[in-house]
This record gives sequence, C-alpha cells and structure tokens, in this order.
Amino acid sequence: MSGSISPSKPVDKSNKYDRQLRLWGDQGQSKLEKARICLINATATGTEILKNLILPGIGSFTIVDGHKVSGEDVGNNFFLEKSAIGKNRGQVACELLQELNDDVLANYVDENVEDLFQVNAKFFSTFSVVIATDLNERTLLQISSYLWSCKVPFLHCVSYGFIGYMRIAMPVHTVIESHPDNALDDLRLDRPFKEFRDLCDACDLGKMNVKEHSHIPWLIVVYKYLEIWKNKNNGNIPKTYQEKQAFKKLIRSGILLNKDGNPEMEENFDEAIRNVNTALSATKMPDDVKHIFEDPECINIVNKSEPFWILVRAVKEFVKSEGEGFLPLRGVIPDMTSDSDSFIRLQQVYRNKASKDVEAVNKHLQNVVSNLSIPCIISEAEIRNFCKNAAFLRVLRYRSISEEYNSPSTIFLRQMAQRVEDEDDDLVYYVLLRAVSRYYLCYSNYPGIYEVEDDIMNLKSCVTRLLQQWKITCSIKDDLIHEFCRYGACEMHSIAAYMGGCAAQEAIKLITGQYVPFNNTFIYNAMKQTSVTVEL
Amino acid sequence: MAVNCANLLPIELCEKVKNSKVFMVGAGGIGCELLKNLVLVGFPYIEIIDLDTIDVSNLNRQFLFRKEHVGKSKAEVAKESALKFNPNTKIIAYQDNIKSDKYDVDFFKKFNVVLNALDNRSARVHVNRMCLAADIPLIESGTAGYLGQTTLIKKNLSECYECTPVSGQKSYPGCTIRNTPSELIHCIVWSKHLFNQLFGEADADEEVSPDTEDPEAAGDAGEAVQKNLDFERVSTRKWAKENDYNNLKVFTKLFHDDIKYLLSMTNLWTERTPPKPLVISELSDTQDNQSNVIPDQRIWSIKECFDKFSNCLKELKERIKDDENLIWDKDDDIAMDFVTSAACIRAHIFGIQRKSRFDIKSMAGNIIPAIASTNAIIAGLVVLQALKVVQGRAKDCRHIYMNLMPNPRNKLPVSGYLCEPNPKCYVCSKSSIAVRLAPENITLRFFQDKILKSSLGMVAPDVELDDGKGTIVISSEEGETTENMDKTLSEFSIKNGSQLKCDDFLQRYEVTIVIAEASKEDLPEDQEFEVVGDIEQLKSKKDDVQNENGKNGKNEKDDTDFLEVISDEEMEVSEPKKRKAEDDNEVPSGKRLKTDAIEIE
Repeated sequence: MSGSISPSKPVDKSNKYDRQLRLWGDQGQSKLEKARICLINATATGTEILKNLILPGIGSFTIVDGHKVSGEDVGNNFFLEKSAIGKNRGQVACELLQELNDDVLANYVDENVEDLFQVNAKFFSTFSVVIATDLNERTLLQISSYLWSCKVPFLHCVSYGFIGYMRIAMPVHTVIESHPDNALDDLRLDRPFKEFRDLCDACDLGKMNVKEHSHIPWLIVVYKYLEIWKNKNNGNIPKTYQEKQAFKKLIRSGILLNKDGNPEMEENFDEAIRNVNTALSATKMPDDVKHIFEDPECINIVNKSEPFWILVRAVKEFVKSEGEGFLPLRGVIPDMTSDSDSFIRLQQVYRNKASKDVEAVNKHLQNVVSNLSIPCIISEAEIRNFCKNAAFLRVLRYRSISEEYNSPSTIFLRQMAQRVEDEDDDLVYYVLLRAVSRYYLCYSNYPGIYEVEDDIMNLKSCVTRLLQQWKITCSIKDDLIHEFCRYGACEMHSIAAYMGGCAAQEAIKLITGQYVPFNNTFIYNAMKQTSVTVEL
Repeated sequence: MAVNCANLLPIELCEKVKNSKVFMVGAGGIGCELLKNLVLVGFPYIEIIDLDTIDVSNLNRQFLFRKEHVGKSKAEVAKESALKFNPNTKIIAYQDNIKSDKYDVDFFKKFNVVLNALDNRSARVHVNRMCLAADIPLIESGTAGYLGQTTLIKKNLSECYECTPVSGQKSYPGCTIRNTPSELIHCIVWSKHLFNQLFGEADADEEVSPDTEDPEAAGDAGEAVQKNLDFERVSTRKWAKENDYNNLKVFTKLFHDDIKYLLSMTNLWTERTPPKPLVISELSDTQDNQSNVIPDQRIWSIKECFDKFSNCLKELKERIKDDENLIWDKDDDIAMDFVTSAACIRAHIFGIQRKSRFDIKSMAGNIIPAIASTNAIIAGLVVLQALKVVQGRAKDCRHIYMNLMPNPRNKLPVSGYLCEPNPKCYVCSKSSIAVRLAPENITLRFFQDKILKSSLGMVAPDVELDDGKGTIVISSEEGETTENMDKTLSEFSIKNGSQLKCDDFLQRYEVTIVIAEASKEDLPEDQEFEVVGDIEQLKSKKDDVQNENGKNGKNEKDDTDFLEVISDEEMEVSEPKKRKAEDDNEVPSGKRLKTDAIEIE
C-alpha cells in the first residue's frame, strides 16, 4: 500500500526562503527543490531529519516504513500522535510532516524495507539521497551496496542512548562552491596581466592633485610601487618580512605632503600598506586542484563523464595553455577607497579579463565535448561559476560500507587499538555500536531491553569477537558495556533532535553541492558533549 | 528500536524534571525547536515570552508556525502547537517585551532554569542581568547559517554574557549620513531615516536634510540658501503632507534641491567628488549587463528607482491616513522597496556603486542567514545542558560551537569547559566602570539614552551624584528629572574623577561610573564617549593613545566580512569567545562567527 498527499496553493517562495537563500543562493535552492529524498523508517531521528529538509523546501520525500506506531514511538517522536497508535508509522508521519511545507510532495510506502528491497530494489535508485535509520546490519549492507552501485548518496543515522552516529557513503562527491572561509582575493599583483598593467601605466601619480592622488584604488598604488621596487631589486617582489616592511615604507614615502610638510590624509595609501602582506602572496595552483587534475576521471573523459569532470578537464587545458600554469582569473576585487569612476574601471578590467578566461575555458570545453560527439549541456553561467570557484574545487572519495565491514582500512586498524583505550576518544563508541548490531544479528533483539545482566555478558562477547576479527588486542572497559546495555536501544528525543539537525545539514551539503560534507563517519557523545569524525 | 526511555534518565533526574519550571525567552528559530524538545523530554511547566508576530520569512525554520498563522503572536501559536502534542504540559505564553517591569527579579526566581532563544543583543544583556540578580542559571544560545553555539551562564560559576566586552553597535556620524556619504551603507541608513521622517516617528538624531553644522563645512553656513532654512523649521513629515507626498516634489526636494544646497557648502568638496543633483526628466534607464540574475538580485536603473520610489510614496501615504506612525520592517515589501530605491538614487548622486534589492535588504535589515537544521542542533544541545542544570550538575555544562566542517582535529561540534567569570566584568564581578567623555558636551539625556541604556544595557536607570548630598540627577520615575535632561554634565559639576552611582532597580543592577575627561580628539573617531572598563584599563588606554601617534590606521581589514549593522534585529548568535576547549587544546575554531556584526571586537 502506498499513497501521496498533494500540496495546496503556494506562498511567495523568495520571502519564505529569504533567510536560507542568503546561505546557498538560488542555485542551491533550485537543487534543493528538485531533490527527491527517501527516508527508511520514521523513527524520531528519521522524522527530525526530514523535518529539517522539508522546511527549507526539498522537492519531495518518500517514507518507507512497515512498522505500526507504538506507545514508545509516540513518546519520543513529535510527528506521531497518541491517536495514531496501531496505524502505519510512515503514513502518520507523512501526514504530519507534509503540514510543514505546502511546496513539498509527500509520499509513503507501507512496507518493510527488507521486503520492498527484495521485490523492487530499483525503487531506491530513483532518489537524490536515501537516508536510513534503524537498519539491521544485513539490510544495511545490502541496501548500501546497491545504492553505491547506482551512485545514489546514502546517509545512515543512528541515535542510540546518549550516542549519535552518522555515516555518508557514495563513490564520489564533487563540490564547486566549497565556500572556504579564509580565501585570499585573486589579484595577481605578482604577475599582473596586460590589461591591468595598461590601466596602471596610464595613471601618473606624479601629475595628480591631492584629491585625485588620494582616490587612486590601492591596487594601483601597490602596483606602481611594486614596479619601483622591482627595478631596484632585479625584478623580484618583496618576499621576506623585512622586505615587506621596507616595501611598506616605500609606499608610505609616496603619501603627499601638505604645505606644512605633514602627510596628507590618504586613506588609499593606508589601505595599500595594510594589504601588502596578503596582496603580495604568490599566485599559485592550489594543491587540491592539482590533485584533481591528475584524477583518472579528469584524464579519461568519456561520454558518461559528469559535467564536473568535463569542466575540470577544460580548466586543466586552459591552465596548460592560456593560463600559463595558473587558473582562470576570479575577476572579483574587494571594496576599496576610490572615486567611483576609477573603481569601476578597475573592476571592469578584472571582470573583462575573467570573462576572457571564461571564453577560453569554453573553447577548451567545446573541444573536449566535440571529441565525444555528445551535446554540450553546460551553460555559460555554469562555466563562469566554475571558473570563479576553480581554486576551491573539492573532490571527496568515500569508502563504501561493505569495504568498511569487510576490509577495514589498515590505518584505522593500526590506530584502533590505541584509540579505543583512550578515555577521551569517542571512537570506542563505534566499536560498541558495531557490537550492538552484531548482537542484534545473533539474538534478534537489542541488549538491555529485558535482562540487563545476561545481556552484558553477551554484548561483551560480541565486542571480543569483533576485536578478534580485526586482529587487534585491546580492552574495552566494562563500564562502557554496562552503559550500552543500560541504553536498551532507547532513542532519546534530544539526541534524535540533535542528530536530525546534523544529518540534515550534511544532506543539504550533498544535495546543493555546496560546502564540504564530512568524510565519512561522525560519532557524538552526549554524556561528555564531545564528538569525532573519522574515515572508516 | 524505540524502547521505553524511562530507563535512560536516572530516576532522580526524572523526578527533578517533573518538579522543575522552565522559562524560555524567545519563540523564534531556536525557540520552536526548544519548546518541542522540552515537551518531549517531559518538562511539565514552561513559560514562554516573545513580543514578535509571525512573518512569512519565519516559515522556513520555525516549524510550529504555518502560513495561516502569519501575523499572530509567536508565543501563543508556539504554545498551541506544542500543547497539541502533549496537552498535559502546563505552558504559559506572553506576547510581551522581556524588558517590561512585569518580569522582575521575583518573577525570574520562580524558575529552575532560564533558556534564551533570542535574536538580539539588548535583550540578551537584560536577561543576563536578570538571571545574575535572581541567581538562576541561564542557558544562552545562538545560530548563524551553518554555525551555532550554546553555553551556560551561572553566577560565580561561569562567564556572564557581558564578561567579554564588545564594541557597541556600529553607528555612523550624522554628517556622513546627511552630507558626505561615501559608502552604500551610508545611503541605506539615510533612507531608513527618511522613511521614519516621512512616515514614522521622527527622531532628531535621524535628520535627512543637509547638516549645516558639519564642522568640515565651517564657514560655509553663511551661504545657506534661504529656502532651505525655511524648510528646516517645519518637520519633514509636515512638509511632505502639505505637498500631499507628491512624488515630483519630494524627489526634487531630496535629490535635487538638497544636493544643490550641499554643493554650496564648498569646503566639503575640496577633496571629495561632488554629488550631482538629479533632474527627473533626465533620469537614465540604462542597466548593467545582468542577463542571468533573478529579479530580486538585479540592480535597478535610476529611472526604475524613481518609479519605485514614486509608487512607494503613494502606497505609504495611504497607510498613514489616520496619522499613524509606520515602523520600518525589512520584510514589508513596500518599505523595503522604498529604502532600496531611495538608497540607490542617493548612491548614484554621490557616485557610489549601487546594489540589488536582495543585497540592500541584507544590509538594511542586518540579516543573518538562518536554517532549521542548525537551530535543531543547537536546541538539542540546550536541552541536554538544561538537564544537567536541573540535575544539579551545572559545572558539567559545556560551551559548544557547531563548525561548518570538521576542524583540523576532526571535530564538527567543538566543546570547551566553561570559563570562569572575568574578575573585571562590570556586570557580574565589579561595580565600577570608567567612561571617557567631554562633560561639557554631554547632556544628561545623552548620558541616559546613549550611555546607560544603549551602551550599558540598562532599562530604567537612576543616577545619584557623589556630591555629599546624594543628588538624584536622573530618575526612573516619570517626570521627576525631566528638567535636567537638556543640561550638560558640567552644569552639575561633573568632571574628571566624578563618581556617578547608577542603579537599575528592575535589573537589580548597580554600577558606579567614574568619569574620565577626554576631549573630542582623544576619543575614537566619530564617538562622543568611550566605555573603558575599570580604572586600570583606563591607564593602559592612555598609554596606547600616546603611543599611537597621529593617524590611526583604521584597523578594519578583518571586518570586511561583517555585515554592517544598523539595527540589531535577527541576531541569532552571541559572541564566541576564546576559551579552553575540552576536546581540543587549541582555541575552538580559531575564529569568531563572522556574521555577528554587532559583536565585532
């Protein structure tokens, strides 16, 4: 049985989404509005995640859940009401969640995930992201392997007692707009391009009155004095601290004096001096991007290559030829003291150069595409955006969950023995969570639900077997095992709410392709308010 | 997997929760999440307060509200929505200002814990003091985009909200706004003032006409055009009303005649590019190449600005038929169009780069991005902190930040131990503070409004002199000291070293202000006073001033990422402070949340 609930009339989206548009822009929003999300199991954690995705306006969601609403569900899940006890959990949650946002299409499938997967695995391949809560180990491995093969991002999220866990799995995730928070401006003062040099050369600081002199943009001021410096220093630019100090002094000496011999107030010169350190940092190819250029997906472009890789290839070709070893110019300059005409002229010079670079990249792109005899579906706006962000591209390669289970990374195993015994390291909870799912496979139940004492022994043996399997010798404190049994698989609302926020945050990063998601496991300890991310 | 959770919390904690009372201040982004969590954890008694009503732009995260609730009280609707889930919870909702004297220290004392879910500094300061006075633990929280944080404030245990002094909200000198704008933000501030002058409550500090007393223009004032002087005598609103808000007349007055007048103050333009007065028939309709942008992010042509401006005048005129005072609101489309068009026209006149409505909205409304997921994360953490407080384990609370991505030590959220109170804090530790000012220039009204209220966060201060007689110069009782308000401090013989005992009865907050005389040149640029902290800081300050000879290099480079602040609405985050991190020996993220412009150091 399945069903859908259709939305009613819309409200003004730009007003409703104003506060988030300022975070991920129209492009992010439009990707979000096209996203189809699948939630497996409407647990408290599951519905909290969905809530945080429905509010900002995903396209649609589908809940797959064969469970009936229980008394416990109602106690910790805001989207299940008492009157719903006994009904299908997915359907009830779907109805209440739909109320959050008319723009979102809501669906549910009243079937156990295992059954649905057996008869129609393909169903899961149609989503933008599949999010699962409360999966047993067997189903987890099956579904995650299948989604991996379809390249559908998979997010597994667990709230277990006071512990939270998240795992992202997908072969590769590419980010164009990574929004680095400390990026330097791309000014190229160390290797000025012709159009900028021409603009600067046309401007004669010596022939200006105070008013004109104090309104020359600082970029030009730095360029002018850099020329003087280079003449005196064999064409080199200031590199060391001392040189930079001397260079600042040189700029300062250019400030005009008034009739009493005191320096005039020239804010542009102050700005120039202040910006010397960052403005003179050498233009270079970021290591991350160099690495991406060497990626097989960039080297071997094929018909099925993603637009991202075709763009990477085009930019790589640009760097090899027109770029003379450097990325396309970003074309953005910071605000600065200046009369508006000079500023606009300067801005135009940078913009035009950036546009020229975009054009060149576009040519390479056409070449790459024409060799493949496929139509180019990449718009000019996309190329421009790509070039603007070329220095911040990110490619995240994940390990699959099957790899994690069947061939744990050697680095991980090497660290494990030591880290598990470290009281301040939350990685030990990963071992315990794995032991708990092992326990569930053996006993079809979670430890601590009925009989704490026996369960402790059994859980302990699960832990031991796991460590043996990994061939590591270390011991996990009994206290922790007791604590885990005491949890009795309880899903506490505040932990679910917290994890719901964290998982939604990552899902949005995956969907919008902006900002960088973690790779690949996150563990949260609510008792001590600590956490760790680790690649498993 | 869901199993009975009663096992999870120790029985004695469950008992404590059952017997506790919680006060939640603010029912917005964090508030909605928080209220849901409190109800589900089983807190039986919750009071909530919020002055605001629901706006469409809240719906992307404040999930207890639906579009049919727009315009209703946040506190009331949040209560109703939460009660639907658990009718057994006792919830009392107030649509009211937290600073009202109804919520006095005794009111605060009935709670076990207070949870802030606020969006502005001034209310945070007030609740901070109320909780210190009542000795009730306060859990503070805030979010900005993907970033967020929470901490515990408890008297004698941890830092209070004001332990780390912050510079006040950024203000711009009147003559820059009225005569010589050089950045778009100046034009935006001017336009907001214009809105208030034309349709709202006029404030003498928000004049929009040319300022003839600009010290830079000294000597020019004699050339004053008579017509303009005449205009000064009637209020802008009265003038506009007499002219029926005629778009041609208003436009010509503001963007032609006033500009001409400014040009006549020639001293202003010896080193500046002079503005160009606009004539309606000559407005340009050219636009930059902006093919790929959505309407809201396109920059309007000047002709378009004029059309929008005219239309806004017409619409807004209708709204004030009954002599109502409008209040500017960034989410009111017409009010926002008005400020965008006026700011762009003025920017054009002064040769300043214009921006789109979308960007101007961000600057004018000081908008901090806000999403549901971050609020959910922080609210989840707040409840866990609250449980610790209720359990009597306040010292186990942490100061927690949510990062954008895992930091170099692989921490996504970073938690640190609570910091000890700052022994120099003039709110929770010390009782005196030094203020540098020129007593002959400062009126008591200014002292009360700008120093005691705006800067020091008092609500209803009383001020007593140390003249041996205990003369009350400012009284919180209506009308008792009105006649003093326009007198300067000098007229009360307040001079260097004078001590003023300032007392806010509502906040139970007392502080002695020590006056340190300072001439205009000694004070930071464009400031009329400076709150220094204690006397030792004042001494070191003097040394700094002496060392820093002449020009100050306006150390603003690091601030360029901050939004300029005009009002302090929409602040959903407090200042992250440097502190010891528990699971990270370094400073948590090595940076401050850039978005919180108000709290830039």
